[in-house]
Amino acid sequence: MAWDFEAIAKQIDEEIKTVSDSKSLEFFRIKYLGKKGLIAEMYSALSSLSAEEKPTVGKNANILKNRVTQLIEDKNQEIAGLQRNQSSKDSLDITMPGVATPIGHRHVLTQTMDEICSLFEKLGFVVQEGPEIESEFNNFTALNIPIDHPSRDAFDTFYLEEHDPHKNDRYLLLRSHTSPGQIRIMQEHKPPLAVVIPGKVYRPDAVDASHSFMFHQIEGLLVDEDVKFSDLKGLLTVFCKKFFNEKIKMRFRPHFFPFTEPSAEVDISCYKCAGKGCSVCGRKGWLEIMGCGMVNPKVFDAVGYPKGKYTGLAFGMGVERIAMLKYGIPDIRIFFENDVRFLRQF
Amino acid sequence: MKISLKWLKDYIALSVPAEQLAHRLTMAGLEVEKITDVNGDKVFELEITPNRPDCLNIVGIAREASAIFGKSLKLPVIKKSSSPKNKTPISIDDKQACSRYIGAVIRNVKIGPSPKWLKERIESIGLRPINNVVDITNFCLMELGQPLHAFDYDKLSGGKIIVRRARSGESLVTIDGVERKLDPSILVIADERRPVAIAGIMGGKNTEVTAVTKNILLESACFDPVLIRRAGRKLGLSSDSSYRFERGVDADMVASGAQRAIAFIQQIAGGTVTEFADIVAGKKNIVKREIKISVDEINARLGAAIAVGRAQGILKKLAFKTTVSKNILKVTPPLFRGDIHTNVDIVEEVARVIGYDALPSSTPHIKMSFIKPHPGWRCKNHLRTILTAQGLDEIITYTMLNRRNLAKTSLGHLKGIAIQNPLSQDQEMLRPSLLPSFLSVLSSNISRGQKDIRAFELGKIYSAVPEKDVLGILLAGSRQDDWRQITKEAVNIYDLKGRVESILKEYPVGPISFVNVQQAALENQQAVAIKVDGRDVGVLGKVAPAVLEQWEVKRAQVFFAQMDIAWLYQYVDGEKRYQPVPEFPAVVRDISLAVKKDISFAKIQDSILSLQKEHLHAIKFIEEYLGDKIPAGHRGVIFSLTYQSPSRTLKEEEVSAIHEHICQTLVGQLGAVIR
Repeated sequence: MAWDFEAIAKQIDEEIKTVSDSKSLEFFRIKYLGKKGLIAEMYSALSSLSAEEKPTVGKNANILKNRVTQLIEDKNQEIAGLQRNQSSKDSLDITMPGVATPIGHRHVLTQTMDEICSLFEKLGFVVQEGPEIESEFNNFTALNIPIDHPSRDAFDTFYLEEHDPHKNDRYLLLRSHTSPGQIRIMQEHKPPLAVVIPGKVYRPDAVDASHSFMFHQIEGLLVDEDVKFSDLKGLLTVFCKKFFNEKIKMRFRPHFFPFTEPSAEVDISCYKCAGKGCSVCGRKGWLEIMGCGMVNPKVFDAVGYPKGKYTGLAFGMGVERIAMLKYGIPDIRIFFENDVRFLRQF
Repeated sequence: MKISLKWLKDYIALSVPAEQLAHRLTMAGLEVEKITDVNGDKVFELEITPNRPDCLNIVGIAREASAIFGKSLKLPVIKKSSSPKNKTPISIDDKQACSRYIGAVIRNVKIGPSPKWLKERIESIGLRPINNVVDITNFCLMELGQPLHAFDYDKLSGGKIIVRRARSGESLVTIDGVERKLDPSILVIADERRPVAIAGIMGGKNTEVTAVTKNILLESACFDPVLIRRAGRKLGLSSDSSYRFERGVDADMVASGAQRAIAFIQQIAGGTVTEFADIVAGKKNIVKREIKISVDEINARLGAAIAVGRAQGILKKLAFKTTVSKNILKVTPPLFRGDIHTNVDIVEEVARVIGYDALPSSTPHIKMSFIKPHPGWRCKNHLRTILTAQGLDEIITYTMLNRRNLAKTSLGHLKGIAIQNPLSQDQEMLRPSLLPSFLSVLSSNISRGQKDIRAFELGKIYSAVPEKDVLGILLAGSRQDDWRQITKEAVNIYDLKGRVESILKEYPVGPISFVNVQQAALENQQAVAIKVDGRDVGVLGKVAPAVLEQWEVKRAQVFFAQMDIAWLYQYVDGEKRYQPVPEFPAVVRDISLAVKKDISFAKIQDSILSLQKEHLHAIKFIEEYLGDKIPAGHRGVIFSLTYQSPSRTLKEEEVSAIHEHICQTLVGQLGAVIR
């Protein structure tokens, strides 16, 4: 029997192209490499061949065997690759949720305080803290709010011991503003000093959407030998434009605080109506965001600074109010309800 | 305070629209909060700050407007009526409390409704017309700021006025119909028999001017602000008069106010002044004071360049007597400006009339200082980073609570700090523990369907002064949302312990240990003291079911920790030193053993460590095993030991030798069975 090895090789090459899955590959293998396959047939024929034919057939059978083996191997890989792709398409649903350790959230008031304080830190201020339980002296008298003066009315205060409001000013109370922090800092340090003091303050106010008996303030104080009112304007303008945005308009309105003279309230143009007047700003077009002024020399007297040597500026803002404006939070009570769905928004 | 624009224009010729006037007043410190149209008139609602009682009347506002717009002020012309020879019988017993008292008896007045113009004026500022005499006193009060009162003279027993302290047990029905109990801290106007008015606050019903009144006594006086304020607070009573007296009325206005009212009464209600007295009792309480200030100082304080003439012009319009020599202004404020004492007060007057917006702005030169940020601020921020990275949400809770909520939490024995003047029971004390606050947050979240709560607060507790900084952590619900886990695993005490440990390990603190204790509000066997260097720094544990029940938290396992943090602040600036990273390979060997149940892991660790093996680098707990392969009363413990040398690679045989020794020690010392 004679084989046309060349034709067989061609046939194999053509046939393998039609193989597309492992089943037909197996048929292919059996056809050529199986026990009764073509190559086996060639080998078994060797014994009956002449001495001249033997080497040619043997050699060609080997070549074919290697060739088929190689083709099967290649095809196998090809099919496996196809299957891999196929099966991954079948089993991976990447739309199912990923799994991660949840990240906790800082309270939005903390974030607001951080943001405000770090803005001032970048301008050279240092963050300080003071106690919530204060003396009447630090909370009032040292800040030029005398006993029995109507200016104390603006600062209704929680007292911690029975007291005669007319007698002296050493009674303990819950600070009604962060300004006693100014007194503590100035009693400990000489100018130049630039500090911000964040913290909780308390006032016996009836609770409603915009009032709380406990809230947070940030106090700022800058004292040196040549601090001017124009510096106060410039500093707070930089702050507001950085904190809110470049476009807001600002105004400084004269006001009264016993511990500053001159005193001012700072208004920013309403974020909602941009000054036209709407329900958010009570048709005024302006939102009041902080009080400020030049430190009253009487406050310097109270902390024992030499007369006439220093001037200073001070400001104070309510953190809840600023956060409510910035994030559009409608009710101050939401901050203290601590609904996790609220906490996790920020 | 309300003012009518029409009325205001009696004293100043203003042509600007109401909105612009309101804006300019606001920008000069007299905030116009609202403008309303009332019968073709504009009514401004002003917020007058407590330092400006002089602006609690229309002439005061007109004076401000004259300074702002540079217009002249037309003050009402007050004619002094000829005084009769007869003196009103007035005696002032408390001369400290009443510095001046004018009493004029006007006979044969005709009480009746006010004329239309007067009614309109009274109504325009939101007052109710009563009768001509009362309306005139109100008109003069609102026009000039001098509180006035008219008594029915025939009802004054003995026809006498006595200014004295009330006697214990006295009382008075005020014109609002309320009986007021009086005491010697309260100044009254009395006749021979009884009090007829609470001085400076409100008149009495017994001497009220009525339709049948014929003869009146008109009072114009000056009372001590502090006394009026205290009495008003004590009685819970405030009036237009007391509001002004508390803030200080112009001592010079007592006479002008009286004359203005007398003239109006005679013009409108008729009558003749038959008796008159002007008693100056105390020394004048306000001394005229001159302030010297250079325009350079004004400019230095403001960072501005205001000409001396401009400053002087503003002050003059505000009725300050001002002279200038060179650049020095000599300023004497009018008596009604009791708020002006020092140079900075003058600076503010000039600045606010110019308008702060018209003044320059500059950026301050902030000098660097050695003041360090408060370590608490930095430490708390660091703690927040650690805690949020562990999946905990920060809460901020009210620091005050109702005593009941402490009892509800089985913490009734703790002492908080009582608030003397709470508005409600929910503010009656400052909390001595964070737990009630946390349970309240948990309970409200659960009721809103939020069951997995991982929360912390960096807050304060209040048992002594000063208050104490603490950290609270609460864990409830399932450990982690992972759909690959078939069952949702609930948090347990090790989740909480792990968080506390990982916080403490961030700081170079001494040895940390956890010791079982008995703790109110926490379940027995699940309450643990947190110790550092043997010192208690906090507690952690499982909240007792009885407490949870009180807070209506059902079917939940709740774990809570509270730890002092102020002691950590010292580590904020702590130095860290480089430790070389081990260069040579480590050998890890596991040990699995069974020990009696009462042998703690700490005990196993201690006996290993007591051997002080040089190359033993770490002991790591792997697993606790409680299966049927472990004898009853025993527990299986698996942990690994890491051997490492900083200077060389350890040989297999030497590790085996050490490891074998450790195993034998555990067998010998603890009766452990190596598995």
